[in-house]
Amino acid sequence: MLEKETELHKKFWEIYSKQDIKKIKEFQTYMDKFAVNFNLYKDGNFIERSLPFDVIPRIISKQEFNKIEKGLQQRVHALNLFLEDLYSDAKIVKEGIIPQEFVEQASGYLKEFKGFSPSKKIRTHINGIDLVKDTVNDEWVILEDNLRVPSGSSYPLSIRDTYRTIYPDFFEQLKIEPIKEYPSFIANAMDYVNCGGINVVLTPGRFNSAYYEHSYLAEKMNAQLVRSHELVVKDKKLYFKNYNGKLIRVGSVYRRLDDDFIDPTFFNPQSLIGVPGIVEAYLAGNVALMNAIGNGVADDKGIYYFVPKMIQYYLGEEPILKNAPTYLPYFTKDKEYIFNNIEKLVIKDVAEAGGYGVLFGHTMTKIQLDDLKKIIEAEPRRFIAQELIEFYDEQCYLNQELVARKADFRAYVVMGEDIKVWQCGLTRYALEEGNYLVNSSQGGGFKDTWIMEL
Amino acid sequence: MGQIITANVATSLYWLGRYIERIEKTLYQVIKAYDKVIDVDKDAGVKLYDNFGIDLKYDNALEFLDIALTGEHSSNMLTLSGFARENAIISRNHLNNASFGEIIALNALFQNTTKAHVIIDYKIIDDAQSLISEIWGEFAKREHKQNNDYFIKLGKLVEEVDFYFRFHAEDEYSEIIVGEIHTILDILSGKTASSTSQSQKQSGTSSDTMSAIYKKIDTIIIE
Repeated sequence: MLEKETELHKKFWEIYSKQDIKKIKEFQTYMDKFAVNFNLYKDGNFIERSLPFDVIPRIISKQEFNKIEKGLQQRVHALNLFLEDLYSDAKIVKEGIIPQEFVEQASGYLKEFKGFSPSKKIRTHINGIDLVKDTVNDEWVILEDNLRVPSGSSYPLSIRDTYRTIYPDFFEQLKIEPIKEYPSFIANAMDYVNCGGINVVLTPGRFNSAYYEHSYLAEKMNAQLVRSHELVVKDKKLYFKNYNGKLIRVGSVYRRLDDDFIDPTFFNPQSLIGVPGIVEAYLAGNVALMNAIGNGVADDKGIYYFVPKMIQYYLGEEPILKNAPTYLPYFTKDKEYIFNNIEKLVIKDVAEAGGYGVLFGHTMTKIQLDDLKKIIEAEPRRFIAQELIEFYDEQCYLNQELVARKADFRAYVVMGEDIKVWQCGLTRYALEEGNYLVNSSQGGGFKDTWIMEL
Repeated sequence: MGQIITANVATSLYWLGRYIERIEKTLYQVIKAYDKVIDVDKDAGVKLYDNFGIDLKYDNALEFLDIALTGEHSSNMLTLSGFARENAIISRNHLNNASFGEIIALNALFQNTTKAHVIIDYKIIDDAQSLISEIWGEFAKREHKQNNDYFIKLGKLVEEVDFYFRFHAEDEYSEIIVGEIHTILDILSGKTASSTSQSQKQSGTSSDTMSAIYKKIDTIIIE
């Protein structure tokens, strides 16, 4: 189902009708030429591929986006306060808002970091919040918070420049919010929390799926792109190894690898992409890590259930943006509901990401559903259940025709001295009709997002 | 504070310069040899590739062109441009978008040629040379503002002198290039250019000269 056409859409289609549609192929030429890639490993092979791109942008009115912006600022503010509280006094647990057991069983909760507060008490520096627009209530709903290493911003950033070059009429005739400032949001946040030294972007390396993004953002932020062995820790301080052997102090790290891999002396000893000793430097307050270690607990799919309560608890406000209706089998009442309605619910494994571990009840057989109930019964903390949100399709121009495809929206929120919401985002669409999984790792494509006003 | 750049990126920029220069110089030599193979000297291609330590076999001029550029040997254009592409990807945040794009396009040109089994002709060499000119042009544009370009320039000059030694006797021209190399090496090592480059004038055989350059590079880029 497509969203009702607005004046903004009409203006877009009016200009679109006068454009040379054959020029669409220039987008692919651009992505090939500049290796705008999201790489994959398939059957043990490394495959360089560009992310499928659709030329029809998602259009959101400035007025509508203002509400999203306020809702996201509120949410990220509360999540940051939650993490700071959880790793210090844990009042929210002591006061019974969130069950202690529920927090402690979250795989992203790192009790070793209890009592540590990072630079400027900021933990949620770069956040990717996934939303969809519900067709029933015609409102935006939050599906997921990504508070560890959210990726994807470089794709709309790169393609916008190309769009302006190929089809300038849209940008001349419509009031579309500019988007170039996003890397400066991150750079400013890095400067704000910097503990003395240069800023670096830590990448797992050339063969990471998002290497293009790491390299792109490092360039735009004027930060050094480094691999783990190009950093070294001495006397609890982190240093950049310059080409000539000199050591240069690092004050802030935008790390593009998960907690488990960041320091083999602290976490997974098998990690070859981490920096030995970096956690010690971090705990000594000598370097800022973006995002903070231990954030995984806040973007745990089970903890997501409690975010509206966090907003009420920490800010004394009602949530501006709603969660999708969610049930926790951990609670007996919710479990009963889930078991009675499992065929119409979406079941998610809290430990999975990227569209993995998502089961749609309506696509499963009775035997499969019965098996699933047994697994849920045995491990209730491992799952959440959500009502299937019928979210709007977006128009896509695929194989020379306009078709409707499910699409979500990842908004980027950067927290430094203040909380900034990027006036763009990553709209991801499913390649197949009726498919609800839009993730890039599931083969989904992306389109530009235009925040517009008349 | 001077330049901030990892050894990995410095090495990649250096090799990027070398591979682009190697492709350009090889194409130039191939064109010259191709012209001779047609009606002057059938073995001109064999002699050329002998300089690279490659035993090339062909029956006519077009076949020479095909095997020289896309044959299964270490100096084919797909391999060389593939190495250039890889180094560009590693160092891309130190390259401008246009030069990066032209390097990817250069590799794509040879990839398409190889995949499509297109008969190699002069047009492909022409296209490749245009792309290389654009790459050097983009680098030249940036030189006044980006110190990192010294590594690319260093690679270019080292490849140039290496090529020169393969095809010519040592002479005044090679001395000039070697002098330029030492000037860049001095800048990168933080010494004043005039103090050492005079003393680094070419001495001994070409092999001695190259060894001295490589040794100095190893003291500047420390992995």
